[in-house]
Amino acid sequence: MLADDGSLIERLRTGDDFAFEELVEHHAAPLLAVTRRILRDEEEARDAVQETFVAAFRSIGDFNSESRVSTWLHRIAVNCALMKLRVRARREKDVDALLPSFEADGHQQQSSVSWPETAEDILQREQACALVRQCIDQLPEPYRIVLVLRDIEQLPADVVAEKLNITRDNLKVKLHRARQALRTLLDPHMRGVM
Amino acid sequence: MSHVTCIELIAFLDSYVDDELDAETRNGFDLHLLVCPSCRAYLASYRETIELVRGAAEREEELAHDAPAELIEAVKKVRR
Repeated sequence: MLADDGSLIERLRTGDDFAFEELVEHHAAPLLAVTRRILRDEEEARDAVQETFVAAFRSIGDFNSESRVSTWLHRIAVNCALMKLRVRARREKDVDALLPSFEADGHQQQSSVSWPETAEDILQREQACALVRQCIDQLPEPYRIVLVLRDIEQLPADVVAEKLNITRDNLKVKLHRARQALRTLLDPHMRGVM
Repeated sequence: MSHVTCIELIAFLDSYVDDELDAETRNGFDLHLLVCPSCRAYLASYRETIELVRGAAEREEELAHDAPAELIEAVKKVRR
């Protein structure tokens, strides 16, 4: 635990209102970024941040002093956002149409072409983040959420599998398919360098 | 694994990228990549896709310095 985190937690435990305000002001923005990525709905994302702080305050006694406050809040925010996601009735679609197809002899039907610039170079462009975000948002929900939790939030595979109630093997397959589908969606933009 | 085809390589590309394959299978994949420019391009763009996802999220967080004021106030009100 960081020294600053330690004193903040102690003040929260004693009911210091200024400590709660400090916690909110310092952590609300990064948590909102997390819930926006998971929920893709501004109102729901803000609600999830509110619920995160309420849940955090209620469970302040359970805070493990070995942890960082930011990591603890991140875990609560992911849980709050996933709870909201579960109650949405979303039609599950598959990503088959976005996966590469093959000839009978196992070769790719359409040859893949290298992208002329690296991700690092592409991300220097102003519109790049929005384009990547738009393509991620086009993925069917079960694939999008796996990509967000593993490749963006970088949660461990065991944790994600448990949260989504799927096996580790199923998670691995879904992540690979999600990355391939996203590659297909990005491909025309990256070949022409946007 | 000898005579790896594109379909086999792409099916296990995540394991190749994450270095989870045994040495013999990995060698088979490496040999295929040497002779197949299409799979080399696919592998490179698959890796760039992962980098783009992570990089774009990091850039978004850098730009999102402040949470909306009304959200901060709403959260604080819950405590009052």
